[in-house]
Amino acid sequence: MEILLLAIVLLPLLTALGIKLVDKFINETLINFLTINSALLSFTIASGMFVLLTMEKFEPIHFTFFTWLTSPEILFEFTLDGLSGIMMVLVTGLSVVIQIFSTSYMSQDEHYSKYFIYFNVFVFSMLLLVMSGNFLVMFFGWELVGLSSYLLISFWSKKQSAAKAGNKAFILNRIGDFGFLVGLMLVLSIFGTFNYEKVFDEVLAGNEQSLDLIVICFIVGAFGKSAQFPLFSWLPDAMEGPTPASALIHAATMVTAGVFMLVRISPILQFSEIGKIIVITTGLLTALIAAFSAINQDDIKKVLAYSTISQLGFMFIAIGSGAYVAAIFHLVTHAFFKALLFLGAGAVIHEMHHEQNIHKMGNLKTRMPVTAAMMGIGTLAISGIPPLAGFWSKDEILASTFANGGIYYGFWALSLLAAFMTAFYMGRHWLLIFHKETQNDVTQVSEAPKTMLRPLILLGLFSIFIGFINTPFFHGVEKVLHETLHSVDITHLPEGISLIILAVISIGAGFTGLLLAYLIYIVDILSYFKVKVPLKKELKLLSANTLYLNKLGDLIFVRGLKLASRKTAVVVDGLMIDGLVNKTSSIFYNSSKRVSKSQTGLVRSYVVYFGLFMLLLIGLFIATPWMLN
Amino acid sequence: MLDIVLFAVPAGLVILGALIVIFAKNPVHNAMGLVLTLASLAIIYITLNATFVAMVQMLVYAGAVMTLFLFVIMMIGVDKPEQTREEIKGQTFLVSGTLLILGGIVSYVVIKSGLKWDLWFPAVDYTLEGTPDLIAGSLFTEWILPFEIISILLIVATAAAIALAYDTKPRKKL
Amino acid sequence: MIEVSTDWYLTLAAILFSIGFIGMMIRKNALIMFMCIELMLNSVNLTFITASRHFGTIEGQISVFFVLVVAAAEVVVGLAIIVSIFKKQSSASVDLLRASRG
Repeated sequence: MEILLLAIVLLPLLTALGIKLVDKFINETLINFLTINSALLSFTIASGMFVLLTMEKFEPIHFTFFTWLTSPEILFEFTLDGLSGIMMVLVTGLSVVIQIFSTSYMSQDEHYSKYFIYFNVFVFSMLLLVMSGNFLVMFFGWELVGLSSYLLISFWSKKQSAAKAGNKAFILNRIGDFGFLVGLMLVLSIFGTFNYEKVFDEVLAGNEQSLDLIVICFIVGAFGKSAQFPLFSWLPDAMEGPTPASALIHAATMVTAGVFMLVRISPILQFSEIGKIIVITTGLLTALIAAFSAINQDDIKKVLAYSTISQLGFMFIAIGSGAYVAAIFHLVTHAFFKALLFLGAGAVIHEMHHEQNIHKMGNLKTRMPVTAAMMGIGTLAISGIPPLAGFWSKDEILASTFANGGIYYGFWALSLLAAFMTAFYMGRHWLLIFHKETQNDVTQVSEAPKTMLRPLILLGLFSIFIGFINTPFFHGVEKVLHETLHSVDITHLPEGISLIILAVISIGAGFTGLLLAYLIYIVDILSYFKVKVPLKKELKLLSANTLYLNKLGDLIFVRGLKLASRKTAVVVDGLMIDGLVNKTSSIFYNSSKRVSKSQTGLVRSYVVYFGLFMLLLIGLFIATPWMLN
Repeated sequence: MLDIVLFAVPAGLVILGALIVIFAKNPVHNAMGLVLTLASLAIIYITLNATFVAMVQMLVYAGAVMTLFLFVIMMIGVDKPEQTREEIKGQTFLVSGTLLILGGIVSYVVIKSGLKWDLWFPAVDYTLEGTPDLIAGSLFTEWILPFEIISILLIVATAAAIALAYDTKPRKKL
Repeated sequence: MIEVSTDWYLTLAAILFSIGFIGMMIRKNALIMFMCIELMLNSVNLTFITASRHFGTIEGQISVFFVLVVAAAEVVVGLAIIVSIFKKQSSASVDLLRASRG
């Protein structure tokens, strides 16, 4: 029974290899057949295993593939518990839905098979990551996910910007991976093993001082993968890749790997005060910066990219407040409505013949009603309007933050601000694309094909109803994660009336954001009341350029590094080292030239020298008294 | 008294001749000075009871060698007066330095030992006559090997001289 | 009564040697340098004879013999060399011989 775990992980890999092998012989239909069937199979097995797990009261199921080293003991093992079960079902399910969408979106593309090969490799890596039984296997998955992401981002590799974006993603990811790797080494050196359960048992047994360092290293890794400040600038650029790939990778799965990893190590994280502070402040900062930048973006996908960064910030805020269940819950709901939004954007792009600037769109709801409705559901979900999914998860995060008290009241207030901004820019997004009356020529646009619409509708339904798995009345996710997090100190929601008040406030923030977006962009209330927003143009530029953070990073790291390396090459290498070597040889040359001047070739000077030294010798002889009397 | 005079006069002539050798302008004068030195030295040898050596000295040195010198001077050195200005850099300085050191050492030795050299071995009290049979008796028995070698040396020297000075230009056919 | 002892002869030889050496340093003409060499050789001869009388052996005089012969041979060869140099550069100055310079 345990070997099915291995089957789930390996099935996408085998699919990818299979497509690669028969690539020359088959056409699109056969590829579709192959890949979607294997995805369905994975999903079925995964759900089956999850049901099995539920029946066993979420007792972890282990499977060891092989033993790599015996001392220290390093195995290649998989674990299925509540946490990895949720992720597994999520990944495989979304893989099915998005692959169905991709068959229509990517058709007629010349690299059709390559896309599905990369896609399946990615699913394999993600499954490896979430179902890992020890840190090392997770690291394999971690690295492979980064690689697949790079491959998919720079999919249209002939385009210069795509290739650059792929590079940027991989390099910034690498910085995070460095932290992860150092953390790995520390774990091995301190605990002597990579296995989760053994490590956690040891941590709970006795408090160690060096936990802070391990935690910080892993946090750096999470920052790289989950696009937190300062390693987030790769995600907006990653929109160069195909939209369905973005939907899977940069909405639902890869970027949540960081969140998943931090929840996985929550038994260690809970003991590190400094780690939690870093997580929550960075999450907050990221959420605010990303939300601010999203307000003035022009590209349909970039808005969603910044939105993803912002929502990931929310998840990190949850982790920092100790609300691990809320973080995972938000991860799940966010996966659904963000995938929905991305796929909807993909449908729009496809129908607009790859035009991505939202100012060139408008009033599309009459021409693409189903897509508009589904995107509308997604927008409402992300803004936190009940009873849609986003409300339950976002509210749980905000309430948990509030429950911690002290400085966390301030954190709560800022998170509320971020939630308000989220509603605002998402409202702008939807309104400008679908609702606004416009002069643009949109008569060519028609509804998206059925193959694209069906996934959208499916995801839309899920976005409405998935929130009910973890309400304050029915803690479904908490029950699932109970066994995994039984040793962790989780922050619980405040009780009674304070909970209701908090909920009302957050709903109000959501509504206000949407309303404000409607007023400003559709009714154009600012010019109506002749309200002058101070520094409007500067604020717009600031937002559009992500607070010029990109430029700053470029200046410091790229140009700075180039300058430093040029300086080193010229000064240190050229002047100092070469100079040293040359100087040594020239010293010898010059001194030998000077000494050779004494060889005059003249007999008379030789005679003089001869006599001189002979006299000196005699003088020496006379001066030292001979020993005989 | 006679000893001193018999020593002082030839000694003075020797030194005079040496000075002429190094200070004269005309090369022929140099050669004459050298002859004077050699002849006076022969006289000193006689006072030292080395009669045979004195004869040989007169014959070989003052006779043959000086004749050779004079021939070569005739061939070469009489035309141009020699420049007295020193051309080599630093030579004057070095020479004067050497002279100073020399003078220093000599005066030191002289003063330290009080005008009398400290000879480590005492003189013998008998006089040895430097007669030919005494010399020959030692030369042809104990020192026969060096004797043969210097005869070879002489032959080699002659051959070398001819080889060096040989004129390789073909002579005009008469 | 002052006796003419060995000291005096040795002093004379030393003076003669020094004069010869100084002449070597000063003069530029090759022939004259040669004559100074002869002076030095002769001072050595004088020392040998003095030593022969001082120690009462005949070895000193035999050494003088050898030195004499060698000096003669040396004069022959040396003069031949000077002649051939003169043929080449038409001046007997030693300072012009700088081929082994540097």
